Amino acid sequence: MLIRRTQQQSGSDRRGSIADSLASQTSGLDRRTFLRRSGLAGGALAALGAMPISGVRKAEAAAAGPLTAGATVKKSICTHCAVGCTVTAEVLNGVWIGQEPSWESPINRGSHCAKGASVRELVHSERRLRYPMKLVNGQWARVSWETAINEIGDKMAEIREKSGPDSVYWLGSAKMTNEGAYLFRKLGAFWGTNNTDHQARICHSTTVTGVANTWGYGAMTNSYNDIRNAKTQVVLGGNPAEAHPVSLQHLLEGKELQHANFVVIDPRMTRTAAHATEYVRMRPGTDIPVLYGMMWHILKNGWEDKEFIQQRVYGFDDLRKEVEKWTPEEVERVSGVPGEQLKRVAKMFATEKPATLIWAMGQTQKTVGTANVRASCIALLMTGNVGKAGTGANIFRGHDNVQGATDVGLDIVTLPFYYGLAEGAWKHWSRVWEVDYEFLKSRFDSKQIMETPGIPLTRWFEAVTLPKDQVAQKDNVRAVFVQGHASNSITRIPESLKGLKALELLVIADPHPTTWASLAIEAGRKDGIYILPVATQFECKGSRVASNRSLQWGEQIVKPIFESKDDLEVIYLMAKRLGFADQMFKNIKLENNLPDAEDVLREMNRGSWSTGYCGQSPERLKAHMKNQAKFDMLTMRAPKDDPEVGGDYYGLPWPCWGSPEVRHPGTPLLYNTNLHVMDGGGTFRPRFGVEREEKLPDGTTRKVSLLADKSYSKDSEIQDGYPEFTLASLKKLGWDTDLTEAEMATIQKVNPANPDAVSWALDLSGGIQRVALKHGCVPYGNGKARMNAFGLPDPIPVHREPIYTPRVDLVEKYPTLPDAKQFRMPNIGFSVQKAAVEKGIAKQFPLILSSGRLVEYEGGGEETRTNPWLAELQQDMFIEINPADASDRGVKDGGWVWVTGAENNSRARMKALVTERIGKGVAWMPFHFGGWLGGKDLRGAYPKGTDPIVLGESANTITTYGYDPATGMQEPKVTLCQIAAA
Amino acid sequence: MARMKFLCDADRCIECNACVTACKNEHEVPWGINRRRVVTINDGKPGERSVTMACMHCTDAPCAAVCPVNCFYTTADGVVLHSKDLCIGCGYCFYACPFGAPQYPKVGNFGSRGKMDKCTYCAGGPEADGSQEEYEKYGANRLAEGKLPLCAEMCSTKSLLAGDGEIIAKIYRERVMTRGYGSGAWGWKTAYRETIES
Amino acid sequence: MASFGRVFRLAFGACALLLVIMAAPASAQQVNPTASSVKEQQLLQELDRIQGRVSIPDQRSGVLEQPQGREWREFRNVTLRWIGGVAIIGMLAVLVIFYLTRGMVRLDSGRSGRTIVRFTLVERFVHWMTAICFIILAISGLNITFGRPLLLPLVGLEAFSEWSQWAKYAHNYLSFPFTVGVVLIFLMWIAGNIPNKVDVEWIKRGGGIVGHDHPPAQRFNAGQKMIYWIVVIGGGLVAATGYELMFPFYVTGIEGMQIAQIVHSVVAVLFVAAMIAHVYIGTIGMEGAFEAMGSGDVDLNWAREHHSLWLDEQRARTGPNDKEPQPATAAAE
Repeated sequence: MLIRRTQQQSGSDRRGSIADSLASQTSGLDRRTFLRRSGLAGGALAALGAMPISGVRKAEAAAAGPLTAGATVKKSICTHCAVGCTVTAEVLNGVWIGQEPSWESPINRGSHCAKGASVRELVHSERRLRYPMKLVNGQWARVSWETAINEIGDKMAEIREKSGPDSVYWLGSAKMTNEGAYLFRKLGAFWGTNNTDHQARICHSTTVTGVANTWGYGAMTNSYNDIRNAKTQVVLGGNPAEAHPVSLQHLLEGKELQHANFVVIDPRMTRTAAHATEYVRMRPGTDIPVLYGMMWHILKNGWEDKEFIQQRVYGFDDLRKEVEKWTPEEVERVSGVPGEQLKRVAKMFATEKPATLIWAMGQTQKTVGTANVRASCIALLMTGNVGKAGTGANIFRGHDNVQGATDVGLDIVTLPFYYGLAEGAWKHWSRVWEVDYEFLKSRFDSKQIMETPGIPLTRWFEAVTLPKDQVAQKDNVRAVFVQGHASNSITRIPESLKGLKALELLVIADPHPTTWASLAIEAGRKDGIYILPVATQFECKGSRVASNRSLQWGEQIVKPIFESKDDLEVIYLMAKRLGFADQMFKNIKLENNLPDAEDVLREMNRGSWSTGYCGQSPERLKAHMKNQAKFDMLTMRAPKDDPEVGGDYYGLPWPCWGSPEVRHPGTPLLYNTNLHVMDGGGTFRPRFGVEREEKLPDGTTRKVSLLADKSYSKDSEIQDGYPEFTLASLKKLGWDTDLTEAEMATIQKVNPANPDAVSWALDLSGGIQRVALKHGCVPYGNGKARMNAFGLPDPIPVHREPIYTPRVDLVEKYPTLPDAKQFRMPNIGFSVQKAAVEKGIAKQFPLILSSGRLVEYEGGGEETRTNPWLAELQQDMFIEINPADASDRGVKDGGWVWVTGAENNSRARMKALVTERIGKGVAWMPFHFGGWLGGKDLRGAYPKGTDPIVLGESANTITTYGYDPATGMQEPKVTLCQIAAA
Repeated sequence: MARMKFLCDADRCIECNACVTACKNEHEVPWGINRRRVVTINDGKPGERSVTMACMHCTDAPCAAVCPVNCFYTTADGVVLHSKDLCIGCGYCFYACPFGAPQYPKVGNFGSRGKMDKCTYCAGGPEADGSQEEYEKYGANRLAEGKLPLCAEMCSTKSLLAGDGEIIAKIYRERVMTRGYGSGAWGWKTAYRETIES
Repeated sequence: MASFGRVFRLAFGACALLLVIMAAPASAQQVNPTASSVKEQQLLQELDRIQGRVSIPDQRSGVLEQPQGREWREFRNVTLRWIGGVAIIGMLAVLVIFYLTRGMVRLDSGRSGRTIVRFTLVERFVHWMTAICFIILAISGLNITFGRPLLLPLVGLEAFSEWSQWAKYAHNYLSFPFTVGVVLIFLMWIAGNIPNKVDVEWIKRGGGIVGHDHPPAQRFNAGQKMIYWIVVIGGGLVAATGYELMFPFYVTGIEGMQIAQIVHSVVAVLFVAAMIAHVYIGTIGMEGAFEAMGSGDVDLNWAREHHSLWLDEQRARTGPNDKEPQPATAAAE
């Protein structure tokens, strides 16, 4: 798009005559005099003095000649969202001296957002942690790595002895590479707990559960690039312009080239909405009414895709009954969206196809998060907008490797790659890890707890503070080991302080001390905290998974600076100290305590058949990074004749079936029946049985097939629905003869007692997959997507008012689900909602409070608020308030306000941003700030020199109770608050 | 010879500030100096548009005209540069500039201006191309390396275009033709006394 | 990294600016943001200035475009040079002609050899402090306006820049003593400078220097009062506008600074022209005048001729305690 200057002119040519004379005159000036007199040069020199790591060296390097001469180029992946932008780094003498546009990446095509364009600073930041520290009598003291690891290990052993392994909470990170996240989950497994979680819990856990329960896999179905094919783009619950800016390149170009409808449905007139062709303002927390409102018009006008529903969808009639309740009048009453507007949007969505639905945390971070995303999937299914170019559930995830960390099972409900926690899953992984199943079992308190989902990170503090008998494990949580997760991203900070105080051990492994440290000190801790400096991802190599399921291999740009260590090394050191490193790293090469990332990926390849992570060998991934330019921007495919990456889709988006030798190209669009499975085609996954017994109104029952009806992927030899492949089903088809002897031998070894039961997901030889692919079939089978997701709390999504809602009149009709025990703990949402209504909380706190992202910061924000290039752009925590609400309260734009919340007498001091972005009765806060609490500046609690430049109140000081029953997701998107001028 | 210009397609700009931090990164611009910024007009209201703005490297540049010490010069590429050796920090260019481009580091005790700093179109200054002196005073010289300004190269949505004025005007015109709308080549009339008809 | 400003992102959106919006449907929910986008030319036509919201504390950067700098440029590069040129060269020309025709205003009655104190040491110190500052300020100020076309071609870019840099420092720093001087002058001599009936007579008679007359005058005659008020008002104006420019954005924005610069420069050149006249009459224009600010003592005859009422007043108050003739003054004759 941009024009590059190819010809380089000589200096005199370029400047022209005036400049020539200028140049000759200036050259006579004494350089020292000049520097002394020159304001900027003086300033720059002063800055250099304060920046010993890169600045001076950059200058020294520059002294040798042109700045970039002799520099080497390294490629990694931006760590700030899941778009997956390639970062191109120029490195000279081990110093990262500059960033260049990554033109060759088919994803970002040279572009970055504010964060991506400034990642270099994260690495050479002055304010990073330099060495391990521990809190002694309220003071931070430097310790050696060895001392830190030994003391942490001893304390953990003591806790394990006393309270059992479940009393240590392992909180990992979506920032880690696949390899790091995988090892972290493995560390949890070898330690003997399922209390291993990461950011996906608080961003898209509801997506993963809701979407997987609909059609098989809980991930973005298409890709950013593919959105260019859409004729209608609907964004519901997302603000990609600020959260995923580079994705807007594809969205806006698609909008322009296709003359596409670009509909934004949001409580805020966001920067995304500014570019919409239709903006729909809704009340926060009414996604389901809005979606049903659309579906009501679709069904009324017969716009649904009848053939698609008949062939590929289960439970349509059950859904119809729910949709019929949502007349335009009821939808407007509940959500505030006028029927006519919704009809227009519904018509576009159903008739101007292909249409795609884009969402992010606007849908997921609610007590009805799972139901929200289910309703979104249902809208797509109803209109046949899945499994084709330009369609699909384009779910924008938030961290560079949140998709990957989810896939590798850094989670409380599953082992890696969604195998679950049942005995079969543990046995599968014990085979992959080549350790004895009995050994793994012995690490846990019991077989029962080994197969029970752990505690969601959203509620870690309750696991510490609740009475012991309310936490369904041997004892409360007594230690938290957090490696790369912010504490201020978790709701109910006032409650979490109690947890921080009660903990026996808190370990923070991160490039920055994070709010864990400052809040723990504010909570009154004097000891029992360790801080371990971990390298940024730019100092580590490994694979990351973008939102579109593409794996990208990032190189190590520079070596870990100061005393910081690679994630993988920290995990190894912990495993070693805890005494199971030999078993855990059995098949992984080590170099100076650093596990080899390539080896880790190879081990993952050997066990990840269920999700198709088996074909993405490190060699193939590296070849993709090397050959980025060869991939087509729209299809993301390389020409078939290329020797290294021929026919592959960029990043081998999973599922990439079979072993690497099968050379499956990856699956850019999930469930696409228009392609051969070896070209990335697929079907819906029959994951919930092959048939279901349904009760009919007359009391009789009937069996309904859950397999697809006459729909199949291109050139499939089975031209109808079919279940997942096992050795038995291959035998039935007579395809077992295609298996090689070696493959058969491996299958026999997997289950010597009953080899016929070995499935495509458990067969470590990959033979069953290979044979299925050979016959044009998808290894997991060919089923129907479920509109009725039996097994979930609400099999058909039901609107439920937020726990804290201003519309108390609607609570009776749309109450939240009854109290229940979930994830080892009670979920008392119903009682809280009831009490809030009875106490008249909505009168005291009349404003709906929502939260969201700023483009400059990410997550808890400590890292980005430490970067001066970003911090300068957002220097104060603020709350957006509508001009009408502001004038009612005497609040001025830019003035200080106190925001008070509905629980714990919480209050927070911040600035007001009076704007019409936000509707009347609603307020909005960014969630990246931290380091203040209730008006108090906690800067002094940070270890000296590690405090971020910008501190501010956390949004989660004000947020309140509310957890999705299916995943434990928190509810920071809808609560209540009051605002008063300070 | 190419006449270099900037063009911000406001129908693409999403205020992501990549241009701002790319500039900071490339030139190690200190805190408080904003060679480029993004302004959102009509914030929060329908019709809202964001526009990124830096020195537009005007034709017949007002800064150069009013400079008491004549420290500006225009390169053969049409890039308006200045010499910090000659600049006396009087602030006159700031009064004349329609785009608020000149920036002054505070150096004195009472807010007096240091040497003026502004967008160089990633073309450095009068010193030898790519020299350390040039880098310290003006930042990197990408143009001399055959590259365009990093802000435009890294723009998230390809909203900010940089390059030969005729070519970027053509790109913009084609975009407007294709999509059927455009809010104008912001600043062009003021900077270059021309608009892009669409 | 210096102090981090913590002023919040306030910038006011261009609310009233945008009639576009009013034209758009009232309900936000019915709007197509693509179709209703703001257009640059429309905004410029409406307000000649485009402003919006920025997140950085530097709220002035919220002004996206303000083409009125063009008018200021025209003023600075053309209008001001004409005003300054005409005022200063005109004044010089008038004085040269006057000198050639009228010559020095002599003491009609010759020197008496006896003197009277006209200005105390403190008064003279204040005067000269202000005067020296003024001269340097004037030269360095004129350099900003006229240096580029007049001096730069002679000395070259680099020397001119070096000189201008020092001139700028001098201009900025000397503004403070100058301002103090103006304030002291105002306070010190206000009593003698209130215009009254005597001044009317004095002016009617052309101050006596146009012809050969000696209209009565108090301590300050109408001409001196004029200078006084030029110094006080002009000095006040240049000081006020100067500080506005020296501390950008503390008081006013860009348009304000453009206006400030216009006021500052126009007043300054007129001030310079007036001061040239003042210098003339205080030196070669009038015999015995310089002594008033030199030694502080003036000859009795000079006082009688030019400030008769003042002399009477002085004598009535203090008696004839005139000083004995000074050898130095005698020698000066």
